Amino acid sequence: MRPGQGDIELAGLCKSYDGVSNVVDGVNLKIPDGAYCCFLGPSGCGKTTILRMIAGHEDPTAGEIVIGGENVVGLAPVERRTAMMFQSYALFPHLSVRDNIAFALRVRGQSKAERYKTVDLMMEKVRLTELADRLPSNLSGGQQQRVALARAAITEPRVLLLDEPLSALDEQLRVQMRQELRRMQRDLGITFVHVTHTQLEAIALADIVVVMEKGRIKQSGAARDVYAHPRDRYVAEFLGGQNVLSGKVEKVGEDHLVISQPNRTGILVGVRPNASIEVGDRIDLAVRRDDIELMRAGAGGLEDGATALPSRVVAIEYQGSFVKVMLDTIPDEEFVAYIPERTFFRDPFNIGDILLATWSAGRARVLA
Amino acid sequence: MLRRNLSAWLYVAPLMLVLVPFFLLPILVVLAASFFETDGFGGLLPTFTLANYVDVLTSAQTFQLYMATLKFTVLTWLFTLIIGFLVAYFLVFHVRNQLLAIGLFLVCTVPFWTSNIIRMISWIPLLGKEGLVNSALLGTGIIREPIEVLLYSGLAVVIAYVHQLTIFMVVPIFNSMARIDKRVIEAALDAGASRLDVMRYIVIPMSKSGIALGSIFVVSIVMGDFFVVKVMSGGSSASVVSAFYENVGVLQYPIAAASAVLLTLILIGVISLILRAVDIRREITQ
Amino acid sequence: MTVALERFDVSMTKARRGVLAARSGRRPWTFYALASVFTFYVAALYGPMICIYILSFQDIRGGLVFPMKGHSLHWFVDLFTQVRTGDVKGSFDRSIKLAVLVTVITLVFSFMAGLAFRRRFFGDTFVFYLMIGSLVAPGLVLGIGVGLLFQWIGINASWYTSALGAQLSWTLPFGVLVMFAVMSRFDSVWEEAARDLGASRWQTIRFVVIPVLAPGLVAVALFGFTLSYDEFARTLQTAGSLNTLPLEIWSMTLNVTSPSLYALGTVTTVVSFVIIGACIGAIVLINKRRGIRATSH
Repeated sequence: MRPGQGDIELAGLCKSYDGVSNVVDGVNLKIPDGAYCCFLGPSGCGKTTILRMIAGHEDPTAGEIVIGGENVVGLAPVERRTAMMFQSYALFPHLSVRDNIAFALRVRGQSKAERYKTVDLMMEKVRLTELADRLPSNLSGGQQQRVALARAAITEPRVLLLDEPLSALDEQLRVQMRQELRRMQRDLGITFVHVTHTQLEAIALADIVVVMEKGRIKQSGAARDVYAHPRDRYVAEFLGGQNVLSGKVEKVGEDHLVISQPNRTGILVGVRPNASIEVGDRIDLAVRRDDIELMRAGAGGLEDGATALPSRVVAIEYQGSFVKVMLDTIPDEEFVAYIPERTFFRDPFNIGDILLATWSAGRARVLA
Repeated sequence: MLRRNLSAWLYVAPLMLVLVPFFLLPILVVLAASFFETDGFGGLLPTFTLANYVDVLTSAQTFQLYMATLKFTVLTWLFTLIIGFLVAYFLVFHVRNQLLAIGLFLVCTVPFWTSNIIRMISWIPLLGKEGLVNSALLGTGIIREPIEVLLYSGLAVVIAYVHQLTIFMVVPIFNSMARIDKRVIEAALDAGASRLDVMRYIVIPMSKSGIALGSIFVVSIVMGDFFVVKVMSGGSSASVVSAFYENVGVLQYPIAAASAVLLTLILIGVISLILRAVDIRREITQ
Repeated sequence: MTVALERFDVSMTKARRGVLAARSGRRPWTFYALASVFTFYVAALYGPMICIYILSFQDIRGGLVFPMKGHSLHWFVDLFTQVRTGDVKGSFDRSIKLAVLVTVITLVFSFMAGLAFRRRFFGDTFVFYLMIGSLVAPGLVLGIGVGLLFQWIGINASWYTSALGAQLSWTLPFGVLVMFAVMSRFDSVWEEAARDLGASRWQTIRFVVIPVLAPGLVAVALFGFTLSYDEFARTLQTAGSLNTLPLEIWSMTLNVTSPSLYALGTVTTVVSFVIIGACIGAIVLINKRRGIRATSH
């Protein structure tokens, strides 16, 4: 597969259907060639619209889309050398697997012998050779997806666009097919743009994760960056894995802050404050759920600079390798601790127990 | 937007090419003819006169014809509705095997594929004085003399209509009923509804569009018919259109045209009433 | 309060019992009632026609009604060989030719119109009601109108011009209505996928739309053929001097008093059956190959 030329740049991209509100509101993004990029966000955030605009199935109201250095706005999908894999796969129901994959070649006028040669190679690559003569209605979900992928890839596109490709599959299959996708992407060496609303899927697959809300990009970057260092409350909450506390700053120290909340004051948080924070400001703090340690009151062992908040256990969920403990640390908001399974069962808690939710200095981050 | 409209009209153009000269224009021609005078020899004098309408509207014969036609229409509609509804209900809700239901449905539609004239006259050997029905009844001693009213009467006309047109009720009602999500019915039964309740509150309301569509077909065909009533009544009854046919036969075009226009207006009135109850366009295009 | 609840309890059990019985195989009494209505209906549908078929084998001495005085093929022979004022063979010929013409035109025109109606367009309500109007207008009135129109323009009415148009005004609305039903099951994402893969508009129609809609298109052709082959009222005034088969039957009804009329009925039914059977067979075959089960309508 030919590498190069698959880098994408979105500049000031906007889309409005009714002239009043923007479904996509000024999106700027650079995706390097050969990267696996995931757009992540809830329904209605505009991610699918962006995908369809890159594909050429929708026209932007404003802004530019540049692929491989050329502005593709106004070009038909086939002229952009992009290919799309639809959410429902959209396999032609009247054609066999082989003919489905060969479709793109057929409309380019290739003879049957030529087409089938190329298609056979592709089918081997995705391991569909025994299913070549089957009709889509006789295929399982995972098989249909492979056909859809092969059908799109046969045109040798420089960008492959996937619209929630794994949503239609059940849990186990989803995890399996994730690896297929990754493998395909590395084999083909082209840019993949993948739209999803599942956080774990995005961080598992992507080189670049783009978190969106209401038509705007909230944060984009490597998966680890977005997960471990969310920039604002929305990203922190959407990616999961973080607890977000808000509070009013009472005191600003060199390496700590003291904040207060409606129901308690004098909370010490060991974090290096940035210059702009002053007393009286309202700030958001994020702490990773797996950074929370739960201790019984009076057990001691608290480090210097650690934060300790008295909390009551509200619910406990066993999740296999860790236990999810939900606490009432912050009134009216979720506060969850992920405790490694073995640690939990050394001294298991019960619902209603009063504990201290603690985290070491330096674990909390100030959010924008 | 403009491009889309232009391309849509391009696709619809062939249809319009047929509908305009073979529906719109003829209707206008008939409308025009209703205002003309006849020259007595089958020609038309293009003057504007309302005399034809006055004739038609004041004639006692018109009133009688419309009564007769209306009577047939209402009776036919009633019977086709009841039988059609029951047949469709049976096929959709009581036949378990989907394939069998479709097979039986096709069995019902098969006669539709044969000539309707043949189907109509096929009642003659059955209902006549020497027909099968009378022979059977005589033979088993239920009656002493053949029932004459079975054939060449208003009863025969209605039988022929119902025979021919029930299918027009069955098909749309079957279609509407088949679209009802069975789970809605299960939910109703779970909540304690009896089967009669289910029929009243779920099945009938949700089949309304099928009933409306079927009614439109039945009403328009009966009101527009002329040969069934002629043959099956032996000439004793007439309908509006059969009178029209006769007028045309004696080249009385203007009067015939006025009568046709009147009938069309009444037909439009009836159909609009039916359409008020149900949004047919949405039903059909979904 | 408790009494009311108890009563509620009882009626619940009754309905559930009925349902459970229905599900487990024991049928409620309404099943038998409805089944008898259904059987009666089918018997009434087919009975008279079967009488005609039987009677067409009437012996040479027999009359128009039962009892059969023996059986023979006499009336069939009579139908095709007897010199008479009518022209059975010619009208049969003409009916078939006209029906084929109408079928092809209906198919193409309905398909195109069906494509147009997928989205709202300017004037679409006008076209829609024009179609419905053409459907419900009394055939005879339209026939007269067409006849008059042709007279005024100066073209002679004939079976392949005016009658063709008159029949199309009847078959096209049916065809388009069937297309509506068929189109609603067509997922437009297939067209988008085809476009994404590089197909032009025409290629999409040729390679995706038509093949997927094939069973529906056969249904439209079926309607076109049947409606044309049996069309009477509109053709009556527009066929000109040469009859189609229904017109021929009509004049026989008025003039002829022998079972050869029944023989004609049998023959024309057989022809209808063969053609329609072939169409339905085609639809079933196509659907089977695609693995489409006869599930939701």
